[in-house]
Amino acid sequence: MKIAVCIKQVPTREWQPRLTDDRTWIREQDAGWEMNEPDAYALEESLRLREKHGGEVVVCSAGPSRVQQVIREALARGADRAIHVEDSALAAADASMVGEALAAAMAEERFDLVLTGLQSDDQGHAQMGVVLAERLGIPHSTIIMDVQVEPATDAMVASVRVKRELEGGWFQSIVMPLPALLTIQSGINQLRYATLKGIMAAKKKEIRKVAMPANLQPAQQILSLSVPTRSKQTQMIAGSAPEAAKELVRRLREDARVL
Amino acid sequence: MTRETLAVDILIVGGGPAGLSAALRLAQLQAAGDPPLSIAVLEKAREGGAHQLSGAILDPSTLRDLIPDFQAKGAPLAAQVTDDHVYLLTERSKLPFPIIPAPLRNHGNYIISLNRFTQWLTQQVEAEGIDIFSGFAGQDVLMDGARVIGVRTGDRGIDRHGQPKPTFEAGVDVQAKVTIFCDGVRGNLTKELLRRLELGRGRQPQQFAVGLKELWEVPADRLAAGTVIHTLGYPLRHEEFGGAFIYAMPGGQLSVGFVVGLDYHDPLFDPHMAFNRFKQHPFVAGLLAGGQMVRYGAKALPEGGWNTIPQTYMDGGLIAGDAGGFLNSMRLKGIHLAMRTGMLAAETAFEAVRRGDTSQAALSGYQRRIDASAVREELYPVRSVHQAFSKGLIPGLLLSGAALVTRGAVLDDLPGHADHDQMRTLAWYYGIDKAAAGASNATTIDRRLTFDKVTNVHFSGTAHDEDQPPHLLVETDVCSTICGPEYGHPCVRFCPANVYEIQHDAAGTPHLQINASNCVHCKTCDIMDPYQAITWVPPEGGGGPQYNGM
Amino acid sequence: MILVIAEQRAGRLNRATWETLAAAQALSGASMPITVAIPGAGLTAVAQELAAAGIGNVLVAEHPALAQYTPDGWTQALQAIVTEAAPAFVLLPHTYQARDFAPMLAARLRKPLITDVVGISGTGIDARFTRPMFQGKLVAEVRPQGDGPYFITIQVGAYRADAVARGSAAAVTQVDVHIDEAAIRQKPDAPFQEAKQAVDLGQAERIVAVGRGIKSQENLPLAEALARAMGAELAASRPICDSGWLPMARQIGSSGQTVAPKLYVALGISGAIQHLVGMKGSRTIVAINKDADAPIFEVADYGIVGDLFELAPAIAAELEKS
Repeated sequence: MKIAVCIKQVPTREWQPRLTDDRTWIREQDAGWEMNEPDAYALEESLRLREKHGGEVVVCSAGPSRVQQVIREALARGADRAIHVEDSALAAADASMVGEALAAAMAEERFDLVLTGLQSDDQGHAQMGVVLAERLGIPHSTIIMDVQVEPATDAMVASVRVKRELEGGWFQSIVMPLPALLTIQSGINQLRYATLKGIMAAKKKEIRKVAMPANLQPAQQILSLSVPTRSKQTQMIAGSAPEAAKELVRRLREDARVL
Repeated sequence: MTRETLAVDILIVGGGPAGLSAALRLAQLQAAGDPPLSIAVLEKAREGGAHQLSGAILDPSTLRDLIPDFQAKGAPLAAQVTDDHVYLLTERSKLPFPIIPAPLRNHGNYIISLNRFTQWLTQQVEAEGIDIFSGFAGQDVLMDGARVIGVRTGDRGIDRHGQPKPTFEAGVDVQAKVTIFCDGVRGNLTKELLRRLELGRGRQPQQFAVGLKELWEVPADRLAAGTVIHTLGYPLRHEEFGGAFIYAMPGGQLSVGFVVGLDYHDPLFDPHMAFNRFKQHPFVAGLLAGGQMVRYGAKALPEGGWNTIPQTYMDGGLIAGDAGGFLNSMRLKGIHLAMRTGMLAAETAFEAVRRGDTSQAALSGYQRRIDASAVREELYPVRSVHQAFSKGLIPGLLLSGAALVTRGAVLDDLPGHADHDQMRTLAWYYGIDKAAAGASNATTIDRRLTFDKVTNVHFSGTAHDEDQPPHLLVETDVCSTICGPEYGHPCVRFCPANVYEIQHDAAGTPHLQINASNCVHCKTCDIMDPYQAITWVPPEGGGGPQYNGM
Repeated sequence: MILVIAEQRAGRLNRATWETLAAAQALSGASMPITVAIPGAGLTAVAQELAAAGIGNVLVAEHPALAQYTPDGWTQALQAIVTEAAPAFVLLPHTYQARDFAPMLAARLRKPLITDVVGISGTGIDARFTRPMFQGKLVAEVRPQGDGPYFITIQVGAYRADAVARGSAAAVTQVDVHIDEAAIRQKPDAPFQEAKQAVDLGQAERIVAVGRGIKSQENLPLAEALARAMGAELAASRPICDSGWLPMARQIGSSGQTVAPKLYVALGISGAIQHLVGMKGSRTIVAINKDADAPIFEVADYGIVGDLFELAPAIAAELEKS
């Protein structure tokens, strides 16, 4: 089975936001980088599926040259090879543009299954995977908590049965024929470590560099970024415990309307 | 349980300036046509440079020797030093030194971020095709009798109760003909070697200081890039050895730091509070006004000098960099010495492996190389300076001046002491049965100029997987019994990261709470604890600070 | 014209639909008509409900193949409606369902989609949209590029459902829906509920979090009672979870979860920055602490300096009164 995993490099969780002077992007030189967390779970899921069904796992990533870091990490964890759509314009590109770039690079590979994270921890559009599925012409399902692949039989094409997460503790089971694309929810499995042997082997694995298609257009423009500030003043409530309690409940009900 | 093994010719433990210089030198020594040596570097941080913290001012002499075309290769040297200032601070004022003491003259040196510099060195090493295994901590030395045969990396995937998780990976036994230990100040593996092989026999005990540092962003015109400021005096008293630094980098970035020897006597002294007080000095507060603290960190420094350097060669092993104590505490510089000793260790190891003799006798060539090199030339004359300061600031200045003028001839080898022996009890220091009431040098915290440890630690970017056993091993019950009355729980004060807290139970008995996840790997606790009951071992690889720009 | 796609399940409108209508009204600035489209099957009641609100015409896209939600089915149905209606904007609530099909619909039509919008500046075609980025550490003002219609999903809770301005009843139109059933590649089963295996604080609308001020594990029932009275989930700052008084899954902060519920009550939490980064995006923050200088008060909307052992039961009692 030929599985693709799309991974994104994002600033680390501990990163403190610093902006460029024109405030339209972040100051990248101040950031530490890591693999987007849901993508790490997608990668782990792909490795488990390969262990179960055989085949190869191909890591696909779009971004400037620095994303090599997460590509190598994915190869060290066990992915077989990689495709890197390399362009500095992809650093701040929106999900639609990234989806188009990846689709152009991935189409001819004819993957059986494509896994992505459900959204990225940087821009958080939650679109890329679905856009990619549409461009590749394959069905999709999102926010997946479980993946079971049914290999082809004489009677049926290969299919995938997934458990999709809905709001409020609801779930849904869906069957789709392969090839298909799934966006994976964090926590679906437990992430393995890259081993020493894995890191050494990664150096020899192929990373195919692909140029971004020439005519890609962004779907949205960031006019400005800012650190959210609280505009409200703290309202201190005084009085005895019963008095303060009564006043607080009143304000939460009538002013804030959260009760 | 089957453990993976990996056999290499030369193993380097530690991806700091010493280890990376060793790796790069090995790559240079391999001529085309030679059978290639297998080389591996272990680094506990998630990525190169993440655990690297220093002032820092780089003496470029070693860099020129190691990478002559360092400029062309884009070495990230933030600013060339333009002028030096040294001040003696009192509580409200500053007295400039009319003449900058020779060791503090930095003409020809560079202000750098050690984190960025190490990232760049890492790239140079990787470009040579050498494997750097980031996220792998050296847990134990593998020995065959007195011979070092390699290092075992730490297990990964153990939960907080010591049980293996589903992701469990046993540590790997990396076997090597020669292991070069560059595991930094109070390195846990070097500490093990010192104990097992008695490498410190006949040497003075090692001595340390702790350095606390913040990276600030101030208006760009506040201080010209390349300005170097060192201070002595306030807020330290004559009995405390140390001082502060402010280095100006381009774009309004200031490295602000404070160093204090860990042999202070006052059990209620808090180095982090001293750093806060330093920032409150009108001169410093003026430099930081309107600015923002963007990063914080702390690390110990080996200050004892030449006479405290242990034997650094053994069967199958060498020690380089801060792990060996190769730091010039007068000049406050150790990076170029770490790099130089890394290179010399590499040359020694290379020759030994080629000859097929990696015995202690063969590796003793390392000592000969050091003795013939700029390392001894620099460190020997000032070998007793740090020890002289234990007599006080003025005697220290006078004695060190004499040492410099006579190039070490006049100053005898002054005896040193182990730092942890130097803390006095509450009864001794305060003369009364004083219940510990917090730091003796406490000051106001405003969270704009001065910070509490918990807030500061957030800006170190330190993170560890929460579900693992604590990596500070405290095998004692003194915390609940005698430490309170004797010293007032000094770990709460000397740790710059709020790892240690004392909680009292219903009966009023104190219990030690370890917030291991806050640890910034500075090693102060392992060094300073008066009962020597704390052992720092590496947490699961990858965890620790993220010292971007430090 | 602004087209709003309503969401329903089993004949019940998702409340977020009303929020999206409020957003549509804000975007229109009373100068653009609003039309509501609703795909599915068995939609008579919800169509009436929407029409009765008088916000705009209601387009009902019913088809047996739409009895169960699938992204393929929804995209087919809405593709035709959007093409026909040619609105300037298409608004949807940022629900799990909309996340599943809206990017497909937008990509199919090759139009921009801006998701998870929390605010709109200006009105009409020049409007700018505010959305969170970098896990709430930053907020971005963006605008779509290229030709419309522009697709926008509105973060659940960003607009108030009761802020919808109602008018006189509007018309309901049954749209002629053609679905190529063979082209629907997903075969869904009926949704099911599972006993909650894990705590998901990220979905909680209200959270009561305890800190060191609770003093001991024995006092937790006090916080639990308050949480129950508020219909809130229980959470904790780091020291509580480190001590094992509550599981790690309930930890809020830089080494735990980041949440942004409608209501966050910090009980005996000092407000160390490690905790604040995990909750300061909450819509309404209440802080109760006996230390008036505790940093938590800097981010609180409402603060009470006092004894939580008195205040928590008092608040719970007050809530139970009504």
